[in-house]
Amino acid sequence: MNAAFAIAGVSKRYPQFALQDITLTLPEGQVMGLVGVNGAGKSTLLRLLTGLAAPDAGQVEVLGQRLPEAQVAAKRRIGFASEDMRLYRGQTLAWHIELVRRIYPEWDSAYAASLMRRFDLRADQPTGGFSHGQRVKALLLLCLARRPQLLLLDEPTTGLDPVARAEVLESLAEVLRDERRSVLFSSHNTHDVEQLADTITFLHGGRLLASADKERFLGDWRRVLCLGDAPDALSTWPELAQVRNAGRQIELKVRRWDDALPERLAHVGLDVQRIDPMGLEDIFVTTVRAGGAA
Amino acid sequence: MNRELNWPTIRLLIVKDWQLFQKQLAAYLLAAFVALAFLGLAKPWAFYIGSLLLIIILVAVACFAISTSLLTERKEQTLAFVMSLPVSPLDFTVAKLVGNLATFLVPFVIIGLCTALVIFSTPLPNGLMVLTTLVFAHILLAYCVSLAVAMRIESEGWNTFVMIASMVMINPFLMAIGQLHGVSGVARGDAITWSGPVLAILSAQLVLSLSCLAFAAWWNGRKPAFY
Repeated sequence: MNAAFAIAGVSKRYPQFALQDITLTLPEGQVMGLVGVNGAGKSTLLRLLTGLAAPDAGQVEVLGQRLPEAQVAAKRRIGFASEDMRLYRGQTLAWHIELVRRIYPEWDSAYAASLMRRFDLRADQPTGGFSHGQRVKALLLLCLARRPQLLLLDEPTTGLDPVARAEVLESLAEVLRDERRSVLFSSHNTHDVEQLADTITFLHGGRLLASADKERFLGDWRRVLCLGDAPDALSTWPELAQVRNAGRQIELKVRRWDDALPERLAHVGLDVQRIDPMGLEDIFVTTVRAGGAA
Repeated sequence: MNRELNWPTIRLLIVKDWQLFQKQLAAYLLAAFVALAFLGLAKPWAFYIGSLLLIIILVAVACFAISTSLLTERKEQTLAFVMSLPVSPLDFTVAKLVGNLATFLVPFVIIGLCTALVIFSTPLPNGLMVLTTLVFAHILLAYCVSLAVAMRIESEGWNTFVMIASMVMINPFLMAIGQLHGVSGVARGDAITWSGPVLAILSAQLVLSLSCLAFAAWWNGRKPAFY
């Protein structure tokens, strides 16, 4: 299968921050959700993938093009929008559409018009008067109507009201029906990632903590409540990401679930009370706190 | 590294900058015509007001071109939108240089030609052309220095300092060239005489202006990526 992007051993150092030794691949047609707190390196990674930043070490290849050298060729097939991106305040959305349409021969005017209706945007309105949600939707329209093969979105749903968020997510879901298009989007909102992504990547402190398909992520993790006295060695079990005691009640966060685990816990004197699946947010927080691989 | 320029997109970016600023530039031209109307009256008080106003407008045009097309674009984060388009840092540098020069030079040249027209067609002494040319060349140099710094340094504070400092230098420059007989003597007469010192100053101004632009182009063009 072709890779939408492949990065190997990539590092990028800034005075206050460093992205370190990232190796990551997104197969064509897949959706990857990039989860991380502020300052985790999500925006830096997206900049590297658009050729806006050059890596200090390692290789970046996007849609078969080596970056940043071939960034012009790659950007012709990439749609990139970031939360901090702004449009020209004094100009209308129609003016922006015309600018982008003239650059991208694949511009789909009918699709742009349909997105304009769906997003309830006015082409003749200066973008300076747009709300945050309208600006995000306008940027998305400018990206989607050029029919990119790879869509890179930095925090597309941050700060949106529930209605605008639903509209943005629906539009993304529509893009994903085309199996040749790939999407990488970063978000704080693990619910959005859980809803859309096929693959989930955790980034923290400039390092890649984990990257795996969603089903594996969700399938591997469990929250187990036990009663008893936890033996000291319990926290060293490799499959346990977290062990918390509250009196005789013990909460375990399991990173690699195994059906034999309850029996092993019983063997060390713990009475398993409950076993629950974990949500992505809980998995992410536990992974970050554990400071290691999920 | 592919050094081939993407001219169709560069052209679009230049047109974009022109479209963004054309209304303000028209307003500056209108103000310049008012200043020239004062100059054309050829009265001492009107000459003082007109020349002062004209210099202010030229400085404003120079600062406007740089601050709106480079500094505001960074500050308002529209730069990220432009960089996401299929352009390389070299394409972007060329588009910014040409777009900025067009934004400044079009009103600058129109105002310059109109000033010459006013000098030649009114009772003002024709020799004033020498002083006028030197003043225009100084503003061109101050603009080129400020543009080169704005393309190289992101700090808004430093850019504002360089813009103000280079433009304010027109005052000591006027005082200095006023001491030259080839300028002050000629300015009061009808003969236009390009003396050796005047030509030397003009040449230095033009060479320095071009050097600043060349440095800005070379420095920014060699970057492999934007960040």
